[in-house]
Parts: sequence; structure tokens; C-alpha cells
Amino acid sequence: MKHPTQEMLALHAGGDLGWMAAWRTGRHVAHCEQCRDEVTAFSEMRDVAPDLNEIPEVAWNRLAAEMNANIRLGLAAGECVRADEKPLRHPLFSSARTAVALASVLALMMTGIVLEHPGPRQNFAAIDGVVVQSTKDGIQVGNGVRALQLMHTGVRDQDVIRSVDAQGAMRARYVDPETGYVTINNVYAE
Amino acid sequence: MFMRSSSKRRLAIFGLLSAAGLLAQDAPLDSRNAFKIKLPDDSPVSFVSATMGESRATARGAALLLDLHMTLELRNISPNRIHGVVLRVVSQEVAAGGKASVAVPSLNIKPGDAFPVRIDLQLIRPTQATSGGPLVEVNLDGVLFQDLSFYGQDLLKSRRLLTFWETEAQRDRDHFKRVLAQSGSKGLQQEVLASLARQADQPQLDVRVIRRKTVSAAAFAPERTENFAFLKFPDSPVEPLDGSAEISGGEAQSPRIQVRNRSGQTVKYVEMAWLVSDASGRQFMAASLPASDAELYLPPGKTARLLQDTELLFSRRGEPVSIQKMTGFVSQVEFADGKLWVPTRQNLENAALLNVLAPSPEEQRLTDLYRRKGLTALVEELKKF
Repeated sequence: MKHPTQEMLALHAGGDLGWMAAWRTGRHVAHCEQCRDEVTAFSEMRDVAPDLNEIPEVAWNRLAAEMNANIRLGLAAGECVRADEKPLRHPLFSSARTAVALASVLALMMTGIVLEHPGPRQNFAAIDGVVVQSTKDGIQVGNGVRALQLMHTGVRDQDVIRSVDAQGAMRARYVDPETGYVTINNVYAE
Repeated sequence: MFMRSSSKRRLAIFGLLSAAGLLAQDAPLDSRNAFKIKLPDDSPVSFVSATMGESRATARGAALLLDLHMTLELRNISPNRIHGVVLRVVSQEVAAGGKASVAVPSLNIKPGDAFPVRIDLQLIRPTQATSGGPLVEVNLDGVLFQDLSFYGQDLLKSRRLLTFWETEAQRDRDHFKRVLAQSGSKGLQQEVLASLARQADQPQLDVRVIRRKTVSAAAFAPERTENFAFLKFPDSPVEPLDGSAEISGGEAQSPRIQVRNRSGQTVKYVEMAWLVSDASGRQFMAASLPASDAELYLPPGKTARLLQDTELLFSRRGEPVSIQKMTGFVSQVEFADGKLWVPTRQNLENAALLNVLAPSPEEQRLTDLYRRKGLTALVEELKKF
């Protein structure tokens, strides 16, 4: 007996197949215990999907650009440091391997940063006044349950320079990866 | 069996990620109605277009989160090169007691050229609040030209800010050009790499600033009054005399510093930089302390007090920073004729401040350009000024 593919079973579990494919797959599942179990498993996973609502969005193109820039920087720094040294000829240290290793480490670090960064603080309600503060991906001015946040979406946290003035203003400064210009977000407590 | 289980897991993860992505879009918003852009009739920039990103509203308990994304394209319709722009961002229904702006310094926009400004913001408001009209209004607060002339309403003191950034930009561009002339491209590369290394090592504090509506003794109980130590630059037109702040653990309140104008010109604005050291002796840039008096008038030889009645909470990686020592230095002076003084690179190097202070916006831009496009692009950029 030929079983439907995993993709077909997943789509069937979600009711996303066309009527002909759905009829054919349904007929098979009705008689095949193994495939019925698969469909049940996919259905159960759909039920837990809402819990993953908080998975952060990842700007893959920007991450790739950042990784390229960092690889360039690492190689340039290496060249500067060992300007007078003879290059190693051992294939273990070829530039391609170094770049791949560096890219892997960076990818791991960035994933960690994206997944582990603490969430924004928005508890202004208990404070009788205006609060300015930094959040996970921006700076915010808040008053009670109301807040205005300027965000630096898609910029690595370590590339954002935050500053504060004691009068009650906060700035977040970064080079916008889309425009290439230094952009300075400001929030002010009046 | 293993193969089957593995492919099932892969497919399940793919499916779950897709489902999560779909669920993140709670309710889409029409960005065109959410934003209103207003430029004055005689504005030196004209509005070319607005690209709206995906905007959405998400319910979080009793609050509603509104995510708004927009990239504005503006055109320089003046006869001068534009070196900086500040856009005011106002939300009437949300920002009672607060306002915001997006500034783009270090520009070099020729007459007739267009340039983009990206605005990403999030509003949080009670779910039951109703909105009449646009959620956010974007206005032009100021434009700085190459000759340091200024256009705009200047409600957010954009003239001084943009002029300050431009003064720092000229200082740092000149520094890199000098290194290039004296040590060639290799020397410039080493200088840029040193700057990037400093930026990577620079510790940043999380600071929360509270401006209370009512003064409450219970809200802040100071443990001690800590005095400032001062770094003094020989060419500074203003010198700090004494100063202190009330300290309690990682909180500071009411910083105040007395300064004297030792130049021959009248000063109308002074700003001090405020550094704090923790228990391990590590130094952090904490905040700047601007003159509180909007109409400061400080003739030669006279003194004035910089005083702010705010509460600042310092933390790092979620833990309060125990403030052990405070240091201050004059970071900005504006004279009555509008000219600015900022510390020289030599001042900062001599006082070992380059390792503590953030780079200027221009140094940040130039080193980022090197990081992304390499040495040749940086050298070409320096030649443009």
C-alpha cells in the first residue's frame, strides 16, 4: 500500500487540501492506522500553535548583511594584526573555513540574542509621573497605561547607543540598515 | 522509524513557525489613515512619498498595542545642502506628558536630491479609548544647512542639537582626514578598527528617568549626598565649581552643578556629562546634565547652577548599579551668538574619555560604513567633505 506523503498528511490535518486530494487522503487514512496516527499528531500540534505567538520576527536579510559585515571586519582586523606574518598554509586555516566558522558562531550568538533578550518594561501605572526608559527594541515615554515607543527594528542591540539627559529625555542612536543614515530617536518627558 | 520521526518533527516545526507568524498579525491597520504628515508652506523639504510597512493592532489585556511603520521620502527643495533634519512625532491621544522626535544628522543632501527617513513606533493605550483623526502626526521641527543656518519651529531645541552634532561631525571627520593624510589608508584602517573595538567594549547602563507629578518623600529616600569630581579641560569656556546629587543605591535624584563662565563671551547654554563608577571601579556614561533654565544668560565671570528635579535609576543586566563615585565635565557650551564649543579629540584622549564616551553620530556612521563597505568606501566618503 502506498502511503500519502508527510506534507499531504499535514495539509489534510489542517483541512487545506483540495477536494479531490482530501477525498483520496481521507479514504486512505480511514483504512490505515499508521497514517491516522500521523494526522492526529499534526492536529494536536496545531492546537499548541497559539502558544508560539510570542516567537520574535527575524529579519533574515538584515542578519545576513550583518554577518557579511562582521566577517569582513574580522578578516580586516586579522590582516591588520598579522600584517608582517607569513600566512599559514595549512588547509585547516583556509579563509573559507575561517569564514564558515565565524559565520556559525555569529549566527549562534545572534539567535541567542534574539531569543533571550528580556521583554519590554511597561509598568508605568504605579508611578505618579512621566517615565522614559529603554525597552527591548526601542525607547519609550509612558504615563499611566499610555505609552509612545520609538523602535529601532532590525538593528542589533549592541549597535544602538542610548543616552539620557537628566531633564527627562532619552535618545537611541543607530545606523539605519535600510537608509544607511544615522538615525536618532528621541522621547521626552514633559 | 527514526527517519520517519525526524521528518515528522521537521515538518511540525515548519508548520508551527508558519502558524505563529500568521497568529502574530492580530488585526491589520490602515497606515495611511494612522499617520498625518504636515510640512509648512515654506518648508525647505518637500514630501515625495510615504511607504507604509505592515501596521497592526494587538490586544494585550486592557491595553491595545498599535504598531506603525513608515518610511518617508523627502526632497531638498532649498538652494543649500542639508546636513540634518528633525521630525516631531506627536500622538495626541497617547502621549499626554510625553513627546518624541526622529532626528537624522550627518546628512549631505544636495539641492534637488531626495532622502529617506524611517519611523517605526508603537503606541500603547487603553482598549476602550477611541480615536478621532490620525493616531500620529509628523511635523518638521527643524533643518540644518551646510552653512549652519537653520529653518524650523524649533519646538524641541533642534537647532542646538543639530548644530552640536554637526560641530562634533566636523571635528571627527577632520580627525579621520588628518590620520589619512599623515598615516595613509593603513593608518586610517587601524584608527577605525580601534574605534570599533572601543564601541564594542563600551559598557552601557540602562537608565530610567522619572519626572514625578507630585513630590513624594516616600518615593525616594536618599542614603547620602554624593559630590561630583570634575575633569577640567584647559580650553573650556565654562568651568565646573562644585556639584552633588542625592544617592540611594542605584538611584540618583536632583543632580546640581555650579559653573562659572571663564570666557570673554556671554553663554546661553551649558551641558555637563555625568559619569558614575560602580563598586568595582568601572566607569559608565550615566547621563548629561543640561542647564535647566531655558533662558540661561551667563555673562563673562558669572556663575550659574545646573539643576534637574528628576529621578534616575541606573541598572545593568537587570541589576541596580551601586553608585560609588560621580565625575562630571563640560560637554557642550553655546554662546549668545549661536556658536558652540565641544571638547576636542585631544581633550577626550588626554582624559581617557574615549573609552567611556559613546562615539559621535558621525564617527558611528563612518565606522559603520567601513564595517559594511570597506576602506575604499570610507576614503571616498571622507573626500566628499
